[in-house]
Amino acid sequence: MSRTAAAAAGAGAPSARLPAPLRALLRPLSGEGAFPWLAPLVVMLLIFTIYPLLYNIWLSFHEYAPFRRQLEFVGVVNWVTLWSDTRFWGSLGVTFTYFFVVLTIQLVLGMAIALLLDSDEPGFGLLRALLTLTLVIPPAITGMMFLLMQDPEFGVISYVLQALGVIGENHPILASRSTALLGVMLADIWQWTPFMVLIFLAGLRSLPPEPFEAAMLDGASPVQIFRRITLPLMWKVIAVAVLIRGIDVFRMFDYVFVMTSGGPGTSTYVLSLYAWQQTFSFIKWGYGATISLVSLILILIIANLFIKFARVRW
Amino acid sequence: MTVHSASRRRLRIVAAWSVVALFVFPLYYWITTAFKNARDIFDQPPSVWAFDPTLKNFEEVFGISLGFLRQQEVLPGGGNFYMAPRLWDSIVVAFGSTVLSVTLATLAAYALSRFPFRGRHAFVAWVLSTRMMPPVAVAIPLFFIYKDVGLLDTYAGVILIHAVMNLPLAVLLMKSFFDDVPKEIDESAIIDGASRWLIFRRVVLPMAKGGIAATAVLCFIFSWTEFVFVLTLTQTGLKTVPVVSSSFVTSTGTAWGNMAALGVAAMVPAFVFILLVQKQLVRGLTLGSLKQ
Repeated sequence: MSRTAAAAAGAGAPSARLPAPLRALLRPLSGEGAFPWLAPLVVMLLIFTIYPLLYNIWLSFHEYAPFRRQLEFVGVVNWVTLWSDTRFWGSLGVTFTYFFVVLTIQLVLGMAIALLLDSDEPGFGLLRALLTLTLVIPPAITGMMFLLMQDPEFGVISYVLQALGVIGENHPILASRSTALLGVMLADIWQWTPFMVLIFLAGLRSLPPEPFEAAMLDGASPVQIFRRITLPLMWKVIAVAVLIRGIDVFRMFDYVFVMTSGGPGTSTYVLSLYAWQQTFSFIKWGYGATISLVSLILILIIANLFIKFARVRW
Repeated sequence: MTVHSASRRRLRIVAAWSVVALFVFPLYYWITTAFKNARDIFDQPPSVWAFDPTLKNFEEVFGISLGFLRQQEVLPGGGNFYMAPRLWDSIVVAFGSTVLSVTLATLAAYALSRFPFRGRHAFVAWVLSTRMMPPVAVAIPLFFIYKDVGLLDTYAGVILIHAVMNLPLAVLLMKSFFDDVPKEIDESAIIDGASRWLIFRRVVLPMAKGGIAATAVLCFIFSWTEFVFVLTLTQTGLKTVPVVSSSFVTSTGTAWGNMAALGVAAMVPAFVFILLVQKQLVRGLTLGSLKQ
């Protein structure tokens, strides 16, 4: 090890070959201070997250006046409007319904499939690799795939569900209030359940074998082993997966945008989409900003509470 | 006992393959759609196995003429869906933002891994919290900011925000890879008189090469698949594949075959990349918090 270090120290000469301006740039990085290393990151994050956040807050106290073609200060009007806007409360309800249903199904299904695949059978490595493929498909294209497959006339999912009698003849899954949200959820569940599977599988494979051997000797049932040993040992893995997935489910936009645009009616309006449409479709710049701030505040509260109570650490 | 466990084993194998087949099916269906004529796409009941394969969709989307397998004359570059430049846009944006993201993140991650400064945990928490911001809450104000400074509809504008979007992932992931390199190496090199930059450049960086590659691949993929920022911050100057494919839904119907062809072209590079980083995938997906 000290040989490597000596080689490094001996290699001091090459940096002298660098042009003077570059050497000046690198000088702060030679000492024990952390700040020069962090500075570029901090600058980027300040410009592209903190500044837009402040701008958004400013925007929420203004509104675009179409006739005078300018932003005008309106005080707390947008925040008051929010309070009595039934479509906002509706979209809040859709967001939370989507959040809890999708996250629960992905968690349970992900754990079940992970337990199923946790084995050294030949070919299971290939199955794991196949499952990773869904994770890299652009969600907008996934939305398109499920739009095609759920078409009431020629979609393959519609065809199977109709043949099984689950839905009526020519029932438009994505164009009826009762099933549109389920149709969108299906795309999310298909694409991201493998995310849970892969993380849980890695967790299961790294568990120590001793507690399981001891429990088997004591004659514990598989259910008991799962509840008393697997779950507690997997706690951190589950918490991290739920946190990361939860953040993305809560701020989901792509699927509804390409599959339903919030419709039919308002049955698939999630907060993100409602904010986006207020800003860019209805030219309510201030109101859209206000709604997007609400979704930001909610997600920060929920995620930080979860981090605190689940004791997730990086 | 043995008969019982053998049948259970067989049951598990069958169940595992069936479940994965269920997950692969939509992918299979989409890929085959890219090779179907309109007649087969609109078939009822849907044609899953039997259809006349055609390259027409790829020819139309990429404006090239693929001689073999052609059933009818296609005008190269014709049609409303000439998308080859959009693939190029996707590559430029993903590549540019990956380079920027990985560079900044590597510097910061080294400091977070090596210097025990005050407020380090708070700093990591802050970086993580930027990962929680809903894209829409950033895209809306950024649209107005970009409009004022002239970054709307430019490569630079999209590359910058995609880099920022990937920074939390890249920083936390690179930190976890640097944490794997023993600190004693740095310490003994310092005793030998090497500067921090030299240790970073000559010792730690080469030892974390695999980690950097994995981080870069994930950044590339997340930029490649991103939707909201491109949708909001570009108009006609550039469009990446996910956004442009959603524009295939027109008032006269959806060009499913063309869309599927473009979708397949967009998936292939991502599939290749993801299979390259299988070993670091879970660490990457969990932002470095779980090591395999």
